[in-house]
Amino acid sequence: MSVAGRSLLAVTLRAALGTLVLVVILGPLLSLVVWSLAERWHWPAPFPQQLGLKYWLRMLQGDPLRALTRGVTIATITTVLALVAALPVSYLAARRRLPAGAAVLTLFVLPQAFPQLPVFASATVLFYRWNLAGTVPGVVLIHLVGGLVYAVWTLTAAFRAVGPELEEAALNLGASATRTFFRIALPLALPGVAASAILVFLHSLDEFNGTLLVGAPYVTTLPVYMYTASLGYELQIASVTALILMAPGVVLLLLLERFLRAEYLAFFGHL
Amino acid sequence: MSLATEAHRWERWAWVLATLPAVAVLGVAFGLPLLQSLVASFVREGRVTLENYAIVARLYGRDVLYTLGVAGAGVTLTFGAGIHLAGYLRLRAWPWVEFLLKVPLFVPFVVTGHAMRVFLQPSGTLALALSAVGLVPSGARLGIGEGWLGLVLALTWKHLALVVLLLVGAFRGVDDSYLEAAQGFGAGILRQIWAVLVPMSATSLALATVLTLTSMLASFSIPLLMSRGSGPQMLMVDLYYRFGQHGDFGVASALGVVSYVMASGAVYAYLRSVAR
Repeated sequence: MSVAGRSLLAVTLRAALGTLVLVVILGPLLSLVVWSLAERWHWPAPFPQQLGLKYWLRMLQGDPLRALTRGVTIATITTVLALVAALPVSYLAARRRLPAGAAVLTLFVLPQAFPQLPVFASATVLFYRWNLAGTVPGVVLIHLVGGLVYAVWTLTAAFRAVGPELEEAALNLGASATRTFFRIALPLALPGVAASAILVFLHSLDEFNGTLLVGAPYVTTLPVYMYTASLGYELQIASVTALILMAPGVVLLLLLERFLRAEYLAFFGHL
Repeated sequence: MSLATEAHRWERWAWVLATLPAVAVLGVAFGLPLLQSLVASFVREGRVTLENYAIVARLYGRDVLYTLGVAGAGVTLTFGAGIHLAGYLRLRAWPWVEFLLKVPLFVPFVVTGHAMRVFLQPSGTLALALSAVGLVPSGARLGIGEGWLGLVLALTWKHLALVVLLLVGAFRGVDDSYLEAAQGFGAGILRQIWAVLVPMSATSLALATVLTLTSMLASFSIPLLMSRGSGPQMLMVDLYYRFGQHGDFGVASALGVVSYVMASGAVYAYLRSVAR
């Protein structure tokens, strides 16, 4: 084959590959957009007969709004608790001063490695005994499992990236370990802390498995609401909810793509 | 001096105490339930027995195989596509495609389940789009959405993003000089991927495979939203119904232990990554 023929073939293949990726990735997401706007769509018409914002406006009231505000409240509480609880663990782990460090860190990876559902089903049985099932504290507790795992790992990485040199200087000048942490380590690690907070917040907002089991029947967050709507063939309502659920993540990707390091991005794959 | 040392000791203890809430939460909401499910799988009507496992074998044996089959096919498709895409992106920069491939990272599992249900079901948007461009007759129903194939496609769609991200990272760690040497011998893109990039990233590749396989074996919300309620089911969907509808915690726990065993490869891989 001539050189020109080869390069023409390469260009064609590249265009075909690009189109394929575009269609495969965006196809399912675009179909959510169309369904969220379809006020009337009788099968087998390829396009909706009537488009409108009726179902988007319906999100602003009643059950969906309650699910949204409740989910945001739970995510906020989870994020604050997870960060406060994870900071000492991560800092000590990063500086290799955590007693039984390897064992403790192992505890913070296991939830990632084990299948979640059987553990959460078992937690539901325990929570019933403790009157935590179907309550907001119960759902926060189950969200903290994943939240703490993400927080400990991202914060440990953040403190490691800062490096101990400045802290050693502060300690040599007579500052206490606690003062060194609040005045030197924490301010320097602040970008990592912010990334960690975003990750934990999104994890809680999107969490489905634990919320479905532990929250039922009284605590409904957006993912559970979406699931119920989808199974009930309220496809418009479910699609609007689905788009609202994925919006924060996609906006984050658009804004922060160049700032998010690959190891943080990898955590998002587990949402 | 001794006063200062005393203060130091107290401070160190305060720091260790501050780590306890996080450990306690994981103990109560993860460790204890994990142990309880292990114990409960061997107890039925107050007696220690293997009956739960006998029920699993009798009622869910086929579903165990189905779960392994779907996850196996999903991993094959994900890595078949992922290795080539990541290799191509390593050799020829293509920023917008790389960006696009990251999008599913931020689409939660449960949203993926609903999107794929709408997209792939027999009268779904894919069937309608194909009929709009004339590839299938109007009103045609596509069969892929309901069975194992739809599930494999949905799981692949969600997992491909993470696999490409991990593999592009690993492939970028391979020094250019090896690739230039291969090009010197006339190796094309495919040859460079399979003869240089893949063997030199074997560790990352193995880790990514184990994690993807486990995630697919333990997938719940995607199959829950895509299943039609008859025919073989993924194991986690069985577990959910056994627990939620039958209130049978014993058999649900035995199903859970089966899934722990299937995931043991991932547990091992994670523990090794911590040890390092």
